[in-house]
Amino acid sequence: MAFELLVNGTLHTVDADPQTPLLWVIRDYVGLTGTKFSCGIGQCGACTLHVDGRAIRSCSVPATTAIGKPVVTIEGVSPDGRHPIQVAWTELDAPQCGYCQSGMIMSALALLRQRPAPSDADIDAQVTNACRCGTYHRVRKAIHLAADLMKKGVTGTV
Amino acid sequence: MSENTEERGVPADTEANVVTREPAGVNRREFLATLAAAQGAFVLGFWMPQKADAQTRPGAVWYEEPATPEVNAWIVISPDDTVTIRIAQTELGQGVWTSNAMMVCEELQCDWTKVRPQYASANRDAREKAPEWTLKVPGQGATDPKGGGEPTFANRDPKGVSGIPDSLYRRMRTNAASSVKDGRYYLQLAGAEARERLLLAAAELWSVPVAELTAKNSIIAHASSGRTTTYGQIAHRAAKTPHPHPETITIKSPDQWTLMGTEQKNLDVPLKVTGKTVYGIDVRLPGMKWAAVKTCPVYGGDVKSYDFEAIRKMPGVRSAVQFPIPDPALTRGRVFSGGVAVIADTWYQAKTALDRMPIEWKIPPEHAAFNTANMHETLLAALDQPGRVRVNQGEVEAAFARAAKIVEATYSTPYLPRARMEPGNATVLVSNDRVDIWIGDQSPQETRFSAAKITGIPEQNVHLHLCHLGGGFGRNGNGPQAEHAIMIANANPGVPIHMLWTREEDFIGTTYRAMGAARLKAGLDADGWPIALDVRTAMQGGGFGPEASFDVISRYHVSNYRYSTHAPTFHVPVGTRRGVGQAAHEFYRESFMDELAHVAGRDPYRYRRELLARTNLPYKDDMIKALDMAAEMSGWGTPLPQGKARAIALEERGAEGNGMATISAMVHTVSVSREGKVRLERVDVAHDTGFGLVNPLSVKKQIEGQITWFYNDAMHQASTIADGRIVENNFHAFPISRINEDPPEINIRFFPTGHWLIGMGHDRATSVQSAIGDAIFQITGKRFRDLPYDKHDLRWS
Repeated sequence: MAFELLVNGTLHTVDADPQTPLLWVIRDYVGLTGTKFSCGIGQCGACTLHVDGRAIRSCSVPATTAIGKPVVTIEGVSPDGRHPIQVAWTELDAPQCGYCQSGMIMSALALLRQRPAPSDADIDAQVTNACRCGTYHRVRKAIHLAADLMKKGVTGTV
Repeated sequence: MSENTEERGVPADTEANVVTREPAGVNRREFLATLAAAQGAFVLGFWMPQKADAQTRPGAVWYEEPATPEVNAWIVISPDDTVTIRIAQTELGQGVWTSNAMMVCEELQCDWTKVRPQYASANRDAREKAPEWTLKVPGQGATDPKGGGEPTFANRDPKGVSGIPDSLYRRMRTNAASSVKDGRYYLQLAGAEARERLLLAAAELWSVPVAELTAKNSIIAHASSGRTTTYGQIAHRAAKTPHPHPETITIKSPDQWTLMGTEQKNLDVPLKVTGKTVYGIDVRLPGMKWAAVKTCPVYGGDVKSYDFEAIRKMPGVRSAVQFPIPDPALTRGRVFSGGVAVIADTWYQAKTALDRMPIEWKIPPEHAAFNTANMHETLLAALDQPGRVRVNQGEVEAAFARAAKIVEATYSTPYLPRARMEPGNATVLVSNDRVDIWIGDQSPQETRFSAAKITGIPEQNVHLHLCHLGGGFGRNGNGPQAEHAIMIANANPGVPIHMLWTREEDFIGTTYRAMGAARLKAGLDADGWPIALDVRTAMQGGGFGPEASFDVISRYHVSNYRYSTHAPTFHVPVGTRRGVGQAAHEFYRESFMDELAHVAGRDPYRYRRELLARTNLPYKDDMIKALDMAAEMSGWGTPLPQGKARAIALEERGAEGNGMATISAMVHTVSVSREGKVRLERVDVAHDTGFGLVNPLSVKKQIEGQITWFYNDAMHQASTIADGRIVENNFHAFPISRINEDPPEINIRFFPTGHWLIGMGHDRATSVQSAIGDAIFQITGKRFRDLPYDKHDLRWS
C-alpha cells in the first residue's frame, strides 16, 4: 500500500505493508538510519522520534498511524548539528557508544518543549530511555544545559 | 589475572567446518555464473567489490584507500593539512577513537583540530608485515615512563585471538581494557617516525641540516632563513623519504606531553548527536538483501526441519538458508546453536516471515535438562569438595583450629549477558575470490580468519569495513554474529546479505559471564584479625571463571591462605563480558571483608587499611592511598540520617606486582527506604593515574559508565536457565536501569602513581556490588549474599 509521510519537512511516498512499524519505514523506505532498532518491543527507547511533536517509540507503532502528522527524527533536529540540545550534548561529551543517543535526545527534546526548565524529577519521569554504557550522569547535565541555552535564545531549527 | 586466561583450554587450531558450496572441478567464476543462472532473479548480478572501499557515506569510518600517499601505515596527510590517523582498535564508546589519535598526534605535532580518525585496514594487516621499528619496546615497559605496554602475543596465533606479533597492526582486538596499554608505545612511535620523516623531507628540500628545523602544529620552520612549510605541502615527499635509523627514534615521557594528559572531547561526538554515525546496522549497499535468523534456543542444538513453503509467498521473501553450529574452532571453543535464516527485501519482511515459519529443533536432551536451580546446586555441591588448590600458604587448618572465631559465608552470582544496545549484525558479500564484511567488531583479525575458513577464500582477500559499535562489553566478534552472516552469504554468492539478530536472538548469541558461587571462611584471632582464610569458588569453566582475583595472593593480609577452584561444565557459552569473572570475585572478596569487619567490631575502612598495611604487596601504598582518599572525599565517619549508609571497597588489578596495576577505591552512599527502595545517592572515587592518563575525560566517562554497569549487576540483572534455555530474552525481563536510578552525585579524583596502568575500561566500580549489600545490611539488618538484590525483600521498620 502506498502512503505519504511527512518526515523532517519532506513528503515521502512509501509503498510498504501498512502494518510495518514506523521505525522500519523510516530506516528502510525513507532511508534515515539515525533512529535505532534495539528491543523491538517499545522498552528501551532507542527508536524514539517525534510524531506531531510527541516522543514515541517507533518500533511499536504502525507507520500508517503517522499519516498526516509531521514526523521528526534525529536528522531533523537541526541542519547543522547546532541545535542547543546538540550543542549541550557535545559540550558535556555525553555519548559513549552513541547508539541510544538519538532516542535519548529526541525524548529530552520533547520534554524541553513541554517544560523549558525541567526539574530532575521531570527528567526522571520523561526521559526513560535505556543506555547500556551508562551516560545518564552527563545526559542529565546536558538536558539542564540545553534548557539554559534555549532560554538564552540560542535557537535551532526544528 | 592473566590476559590470556581465556585462551587456555581452547582447542588447538583445527580445520574449520567449512561450508563448501563449490562443486569439484568447477572454478569459482563458472560456479557463480551457473548459480546465478539457476537462481534467476535472486542473484542481482555481480556487485563491484573492488569499489567496496569507495562505498563511503557521511559518518562511515571504515578504511579508505588514501588519495595521497601515506607517510606510514598510521598516518595520511592531505595537501589541505587534514591528518587521517588510522585506528586499529574499535570504538565502542570507550573513547579509543580519540585516545589513539591523541597518542599519534602528540608526537606528530600536527594540528589536533585537523585530525580525522579512520579504521585501519584489517585486509592490509593480512598482507603486510609490521615495520621493523615497531617491534622492539625499549625499557621494562611498565616501570619505564618511555617504555611501552608490550602486548602479550604468546605464540603466533593465526586466528589473531591475541593479535598477531608481526602483522602490520599486530593487535587489532579491542578487549581487556588494553587499548591504551598495548597501543601507546607503538602509536607514539608511529607519530614520531612520521614527524622525523617530514622534517627530513623539508631539510632535503631546503638543503639545510635537519637539526635546524622545528615542527609544531603541522608547520615546519627553519628559524635562521625564516622559511616555513606545512605538513600538507611536504607529506608527499616525506612518503618517499625513509628514515635512515628509525631504531633511534624515541618517544616522549609523560612529563613532556602537551596533548596527552589533557581532557579532549571525543572526536565522534558530533556524528553521534546528529544520527550520522554508521554502525554495522546502518550499512546499506546496492542490491543488498536482509536476513533474519533463528537459532536453536538450547545451546548445542540444531535445526531438525523447517517449512519454507509455508512462508515462500509472503511479501519480499526470497529464500531460506539453514546453517550449522558455527565451528567452535572459530568461536574459541564455545558451542552455540545451528539455525535458519530467512532472506527478504527488508529486514522486517524477513523477520515477520521467519516468525511464521514452522521450525522444529533438534535439542540435546542433556542440555535441555539444565536449569538455574540444578546448576546452582551443582556449584554449591562443588564447594563442599576440596577442588583444585591454586594457592596454599602457611598452615590453614592449624590456624583455623586455634582461631577465636570462625566466619563463613557463601555468595552467588548469576549468568549475565552483555546486552549491548545494537543487536548483533553483519553485512557480508561473498564474490569472486573475495569476501567483504561490514561489521562493528572487537576482533577483526579473528573475523578475517573465520571468513577464510568458512568460504575457502584466503585471508588476504577478506576485506573488513569496520563500523562503530553500539556497545561492546566483551569483544563483539567472537560471538557467532560474523560466522552466521558469513555462512548465510556464502550460500548466496554475489549478493550482499545484511544479517541482523532480533533482540531475542542477541540474548542467545551473546557470551555470558559464568554463573558462580564462592564460599569464604575466615578464622579470626581474639582481636578480630584474620589468621586463616579459605576461599573456594565454583564457576563454569572456560570463560574467566574461577581464575580471577584470588589466584595469586590475598590482597588483605592473612598468614594462612588457601584458594581452590571448581570449574564444572555447563552448556552455556561463557566468555568475555565486561569485568569478566573478576567482577564476581571482587563482589565475593569485598563483601566478605565487610562481614569480617562487622564481626570484629571494626570500621570497614580502617579494617581494610590495616590489613593492606600488613601485606608486602608492591602497590600497597597506592591501595592505602586510594582508600584514604575515597574515605576523606566521602566524609567517612560523619553521621548520616536513618535509612542511609556508606560502604567502601577497594578495586585493583595487578596489585601482586606484575609491573602494571590499576588501583581505585570507592565509597558508595546508599539509601534504603522503609518500603525497600534502594538508591545509590553518591559515589566518591579515588583513582590511580599511573604515570599519566591519556584522556582523563574518557576515563571519567568510563568510571561513570561502570558505576551504572555494576549497579545493574548488583540491583537488577540476572539471566536464568529453564529447560536449557535462556529465559530473559528482551528488556522487559532483563531490566536496564534508567536515568532515575543514576546517582545524583559522582565525585572523581585522581592520584599519580609510579607505574603504567593496566587499563580501566572494564573492572572499575565493581565495588557497587558489595557496597550496596553492606549498606542494605547496615540499614535493614539483613545480609544478602546473592545477586541481584532486588529479588529480595528489602523493607525495614
